[in-house]
Amino acid sequence: MVQLCGSTTQCDHPSLHAHSFALGSIEVVGAAGQLLVVDVRTDVHLAGVNLHDQCRVQNVDSSLGLASSPLLFNFNIVKIYHQFVIQVKKNNFLFSPGLPGTSGQAPQLFHSQTVTGSTTTALPGNTPLYNTPVTPMTPITPATPASESSGIVPQLQNIVSTVNLGCKLDLKTIALRARNAEYNPKRFAAVIMRIREPRTTALIFSSGKMVCTGAKSEEQSRLAARKYARVVQKLGFPAKFLDFKIQNMVGSSDSRNFFHQVFSLGSHYEPELFPGLIYRMIKPRIVLLIFVSGKVVLTGAKVRAEIYEAFENIYPILKGFRKTT
Amino acid sequence: MCRILMVHREIEQLSQTYYNKAYQHESFLKVSLQKKEVLAGCCVLVSCRLLNWPITMATILCLINADPTLVGEVYQEMISALKIEAPIVLITDVIETHIQEYKISSLHLPEEFAENSKDLTRCAVALVELAADSWIVTGRKPVPIIMAAVYLAWQSLRPTKQRLKTSLEKFCQIAKVNKYRPAVKRIAEIKEALCKLGKEIPWVREAVTPDNVVQHVEDILQHRYALLRRAMRTHQDALQEGRKAGFDNSLTEETDSVQSSELVEQTPNSSSVKQCEPNEEGAPQPRDGDNNPCTVSELHSGPHERNDVELNWGKRVLFAPPCVIRAKRRRVEQPELQDVTGDEEISDSEIDSYIRTPQEARDFALTQKMFEKS
Repeated sequence: MVQLCGSTTQCDHPSLHAHSFALGSIEVVGAAGQLLVVDVRTDVHLAGVNLHDQCRVQNVDSSLGLASSPLLFNFNIVKIYHQFVIQVKKNNFLFSPGLPGTSGQAPQLFHSQTVTGSTTTALPGNTPLYNTPVTPMTPITPATPASESSGIVPQLQNIVSTVNLGCKLDLKTIALRARNAEYNPKRFAAVIMRIREPRTTALIFSSGKMVCTGAKSEEQSRLAARKYARVVQKLGFPAKFLDFKIQNMVGSSDSRNFFHQVFSLGSHYEPELFPGLIYRMIKPRIVLLIFVSGKVVLTGAKVRAEIYEAFENIYPILKGFRKTT
Repeated sequence: MCRILMVHREIEQLSQTYYNKAYQHESFLKVSLQKKEVLAGCCVLVSCRLLNWPITMATILCLINADPTLVGEVYQEMISALKIEAPIVLITDVIETHIQEYKISSLHLPEEFAENSKDLTRCAVALVELAADSWIVTGRKPVPIIMAAVYLAWQSLRPTKQRLKTSLEKFCQIAKVNKYRPAVKRIAEIKEALCKLGKEIPWVREAVTPDNVVQHVEDILQHRYALLRRAMRTHQDALQEGRKAGFDNSLTEETDSVQSSELVEQTPNSSSVKQCEPNEEGAPQPRDGDNNPCTVSELHSGPHERNDVELNWGKRVLFAPPCVIRAKRRRVEQPELQDVTGDEEISDSEIDSYIRTPQEARDFALTQKMFEKS
């Protein structure tokens, strides 16, 4: 998913980096799960979209009262090219300057287009900064309506972090004197150490660098890394705790849908190699493994919010591909 | 490879082009000879896919006799290096070419075992389509499914005693193909799906079981969609009956609890207190009969609700992916550390528990030396 400055056209599909996941007719272009105040829910329908130019909102239903007031939306949009439907939730803070809360400030858009002066946008309504006029349109029933938050929270399963102990280490001494260590230099050039709580594993290298895996939260990972550093200290090394950093977070979720068509569309689905579909989301930069049971594994995140964001992005798409016998 | 597979000239040329490009790509410049051989196989595979020549990775694996992991790795690397978008091969397209490997025509086998490849293909394709509709295909390797379908098709086209007694292993021997172990599980899964439909055949009086379903395969495949509709309707009715029965049970329990609460009010003694306790859930002594029914029904609906949720997932639908129906039991996770900040004090005793005593360290070093010497 790219951060859109305006809705992309069909010909820009590749720029959505969905090459392995042909979003033929459904595209999620934004998510505003974090914005809670919803004043008016409108269905805005586009009569015509130029598929080879950035979509312009050409007609907006005047009965919605949008035509005259420039509006800025925080929205969940599901745009369907062939049915030209956008379902929008508006934050009443974001109405025209006459309404409260609009003091000309740009909203905190989650994924939506950036607010610029002359951006052409497919979105109905305008901020005061937008110049694109909107005109009434004929409503059509959305095939896949813009979704609320999925209500499913991915669970963190593994955190990988690194830390620099700041000194050279004699791995043989560590392996000899620590109970919870194993060291086989012919197989791997690091000591593998484990602690009970938090239940984690560490790879300790002679350079003093350490990798800590297996924690279920960022705090647990930090605590575990500190415990490993303390063990190394107790073994007589002047270990410090420098540059602790979370490198990777893995989450999993169960969207409880069976996905059949997904597998027939994605080119990163090789059942002879791996039973799941590998989907590489661009924004956030997360890799998702989607399985037929509906379980989804999300990996590659540096912060928890990326996991949540990625799942919220993928959920409406997967819902659209739901199939039962 | 292309000559062995007898592919079109264009496929041969395309695979040659891809190989030349990949060979000069930085990812494959300094790789081993084995990897380069695997690369050649991957180029043939992707060229076949791009030009709609149905072929599985298993065929390439057989040809180049390489480790599947290595082939997978090289294939993915080649795809991303050359920026190729290879379409997925449909399993039904692959069946016809795959069946040609099976030597079960009348030229190779006696009459009782021989089978016409066209009929076999037709039946196998229908079985694979049924398997796909029953969630047996998605996410699985295609070759074991094809093997299972061919085996069942072969049995069903002429369900004689001899054929029905022939195991998969024997079948693979007479057809001169390598047996794939997962095919045994696929056969069981396909049979299960066939049984679900076979039960709906109106003219079959006997119970349709995995042992006798092969005899009805032709009928099932011929009337597949009608049987599927009937089966789904039956399943829905059964679920509704189940829910209704569950509701009636809870109502019966409510009336029972009303009666028991009336008894409690009339006989306040220690046993009634014991009776009350499970009903209360921490609520005050029951004086009012109205409270109890709710509590009891809540108590009893709790497990029902939980069961219902579980039923909803794997059993609500007639067909579900086998990994959902037979979900693996999750390992009991250790209780999560609550409210961890990451900056807690670390006790010395905990750290000391991870460090050997001097005596232990000496013994360990000695033991290591002994192992090294031996």
